Amino acid sequence: MRQVAAAIAAILLLSLSALLFGRSPLELLSILINGSVGSRFAIDGTLLKSVPLLLTGLSVALAFRAGVWNIGGEGQFIVGAIAAIIASPFGLVASLLASMLAGALWASIATAMRLWRNAPEVLTTILLNFTAIHLLGWCVNGPLQERGAQYPQTDTAAAALPQLGEVHAGLLIAIAASIAAWFLLYRTAEGLRLRAAGFNARAAKWAGIDVDRQLVRAMAMSGALAGLAGGIELLGVTHRLFERFAVGYGYSGIAVALLAQLHPLATIASSIFFGALSTGAGELQRTANISSNVAIFGQAVVILVLILFGSWRARD
Amino acid sequence: MLTLRGITKRFGDNLAVDNVTLELRGGEILALVGENGAGKTTLMRIAAGELTPDAGTFERAGEVGFVHQHFLLVSDFTIAENLALQRSWSFASLRTLEGEAEAIIAATGIELHGPSRRVEELSVGEKSKLELIKAIAEKPRVLILDEPTSVLTPTESAELFAVMRRVASEGTAVVFISHKLPEVLEIADRIVVMRRGRVVLETKSMTAEDLAQAMTDRPSPAAAGEGARRAGEGILAIVGVAGNGQSQLAERFRDDHPDAGLVPEDRTRDGIIAEMSIAENLALRSKTNAEALIKLFSIKATSANQKAGALSGGNQQKVILARELSRKPRMILAAEPTRGLDIEATAFVHAQLRAAADDGASILLITSDLDEAFALADEIQVIYRGKLSERMPPAVARERVGALMAGLR
Amino acid sequence: MIDVIVHALPIAIVASTPLLLAVEGELVVQRSGIINLGIEGMMLTAAMTAVLAQQSTHSVLAGFAGGIAGALLVAALFGLFAIRYRADQIVTGTAINLLALGLTGFIYKAVSGLFFGTSALSEVAQYAVVLIAWIAVPIALAVLLWMTSFGLRLRASGENPEAVPHMQRYRWSALAIEALLAGTGGAYLSLALSSGFAENMTAGRGFIALSIVIFGRWKVRGAIIGTALFGVAAALQYTLQAMNIGLPFHLLLAVPYVVTLLILCGIAGRVRAPEALGRRD
Repeated sequence: MRQVAAAIAAILLLSLSALLFGRSPLELLSILINGSVGSRFAIDGTLLKSVPLLLTGLSVALAFRAGVWNIGGEGQFIVGAIAAIIASPFGLVASLLASMLAGALWASIATAMRLWRNAPEVLTTILLNFTAIHLLGWCVNGPLQERGAQYPQTDTAAAALPQLGEVHAGLLIAIAASIAAWFLLYRTAEGLRLRAAGFNARAAKWAGIDVDRQLVRAMAMSGALAGLAGGIELLGVTHRLFERFAVGYGYSGIAVALLAQLHPLATIASSIFFGALSTGAGELQRTANISSNVAIFGQAVVILVLILFGSWRARD
Repeated sequence: MLTLRGITKRFGDNLAVDNVTLELRGGEILALVGENGAGKTTLMRIAAGELTPDAGTFERAGEVGFVHQHFLLVSDFTIAENLALQRSWSFASLRTLEGEAEAIIAATGIELHGPSRRVEELSVGEKSKLELIKAIAEKPRVLILDEPTSVLTPTESAELFAVMRRVASEGTAVVFISHKLPEVLEIADRIVVMRRGRVVLETKSMTAEDLAQAMTDRPSPAAAGEGARRAGEGILAIVGVAGNGQSQLAERFRDDHPDAGLVPEDRTRDGIIAEMSIAENLALRSKTNAEALIKLFSIKATSANQKAGALSGGNQQKVILARELSRKPRMILAAEPTRGLDIEATAFVHAQLRAAADDGASILLITSDLDEAFALADEIQVIYRGKLSERMPPAVARERVGALMAGLR
Repeated sequence: MIDVIVHALPIAIVASTPLLLAVEGELVVQRSGIINLGIEGMMLTAAMTAVLAQQSTHSVLAGFAGGIAGALLVAALFGLFAIRYRADQIVTGTAINLLALGLTGFIYKAVSGLFFGTSALSEVAQYAVVLIAWIAVPIALAVLLWMTSFGLRLRASGENPEAVPHMQRYRWSALAIEALLAGTGGAYLSLALSSGFAENMTAGRGFIALSIVIFGRWKVRGAIIGTALFGVAAALQYTLQAMNIGLPFHLLLAVPYVVTLLILCGIAGRVRAPEALGRRD
């Protein structure tokens, strides 16, 4: 189980790096574990964090599977949240749908540029991320700013996800999405074609598959998932938009997807792992004053270890 | 000049070279023959130092020049720049580059003019000459040529043989890897036959039939029954030396007729998806009963879930045929469908194509194998530098095809 | 309107000097057949190590050396995965960026005094760097890549790597050159232009650089024109702001990225990239 080995190796490396800053690796490790799964509160935090990670992870997994480099999860997440709050007066379902639509459209900008202008989507999606961040900045400082215009944030959303104890219903939606993605990829003809195009676009063409059409569909679905992640985060956790709404869930989705070897069901476990890492890092910040950036660092280490083990590629 | 002793090489499960001992002598042209997969190229790559053997030793007395089957040229660069890749120049200005290139080319005695021309503008024959010049320019003691005539017209092949004889007469050991028996008999001083990684025969003279038998351990098949032409319609064969626009032609056909039965030239890269199972590959077009198709087409596999990449070339081709032909398409494209296949598999493919034509499908067959074309085709066209000749019935084609393939009209 | 552009040009050139250095570095690397998405992380790291070096030695020269050293470390890591282990270059580059982001953010929060409020370079030194980036480096690269056999082999590594004996050497060399240039760019960014280090200060310059390399068709002259064009367009955001034209502040911040997207749209038709670019074999 290379994946488990990679995850463990990453955590160990992470702990060891504490030495660089004059701290004890054991101390770091124990705070990480305690802070992520050591109490009811911690576990709730972990689950909460894993919801958007699961969805952005699915977004990346689906795209990479189809052979598309969608690194735009961050931007799609943001526009999904923006659309959700705009649509929130029309109800919960409308908001969620709006977030998916917005994410899909945002991603499709990159698709269009790739099909019509040969612009590599790996770059366009990243550039769209930066654009979305500033779009958000404009929204919360301008047209969507709260009544009273005191802080750069919006009013509370008119709709909200129902709570399930300490966690919100978004968790169920995310798991449902994961199962739906699995079903699509492995039990439908469309999914077969998508995977084929991802493995070998040339051979897929020779088998009569319209690779361009697969690209459009995959990017749209991928964008929709990331947009949904943003909408759920808004409607279930923050309830309002503010400048630093996007804290890297889009980019973290890459690590989640790779650890899951691009398999939709494995993304569930992978997202919990990274959710734990993120929550644990937060605890590190609170108790040991070690910046929570360590979580980002941890994601990078996991990815690099996975590359070394040669085990991030899709395996059926 | 070069002695190989007890060389063994494995690629995973595949024993490519099995305890081979071989001596290469200066002044001699040695032909290394065998079917695809016999181990000839692997053995020679070891001799040239490109691969390391798992066991065995070799003694080498100088440089080894290798003319590869697939050209190692940079298409965007000129002839002179490609030559410069090998030599140890430092600061080079354009003018001296070309002057030096001309000198190198002249020294090899091979005719290739215009060293400022870009490689992508050259004909296949000229590219092949450039590869040869690259190898000879280093004045190697051993010169290995891997299937050099597969992309040459008869005239170009004759020129090549003249160069090989000259080089040999200067004391170099020349090794000629080929599966074309008539050529081998014409040029070789000594013949070594390989089969399944082993040397099975070494001789100085032999008949073609005996050679074929040694290569395959089967009696050579009777000429592929041209008389068995049935009154059906629809196989048009496009023949030509590889590299004259066949790939572009095939791709255009594919783009125009995505619903046709498509059998691409490069089956491992373009035909099957290696990472997916046989069943998934078969289902790419439409829902299929994988087990039934495997049986129908006699695909040798451990199960329908085996990864298609693990199959042999012949079985991969069967998967592609099963997927494409079972749909009973009206039109079929088959590009080099029997390249690299053994005799059984070739016969199977031919039978499938014939059956499809009998059923009324119209087939576009692209091939560089003239025997195959004459055996199957109702009409023949020759492709040269991207242009097609007019259609001819096989009888007429027989006389004209050699000239047409060389670009004469 | 011409007025505005002419006025913006000198600012544009100075401000986009780090970008130009990144473009020049990535150009060399891509010519050798590798896509280094991690140049963003490389510049960010260099920006930080430059400040760290300068603060501890109070020497600007040491600062630049520190920046280059940081970039070389990142280049070594990237090369290890992309060249030695032949790993997927996009995934590796993404990981490198995350690594750099996390690490520099972490150090930023842990160490104080990384922001100093004024440029650490004298005006003369600043202009020296600008001249080097816009004139000396392009000439040097053009000569190196197109007039030496080293350059020939480096370019061949990006077209048909099998045709080049010891191909890895050229790719490693390309990465080293990129580290030299991007390291200088990152150092210039933090020491001269931004008066210190701030979290994620490169703000996507690496990705913009990648886009300009493509727009410039992997040629030196294209790199200069592309960066200048971008620089002017981006600088216009400030000029427009000063002129109080309608666009709100935050949307103006998005201008560089939108401009880059438009630049990428300008690649209509078949772009002839180095044949072997990004291939893992």
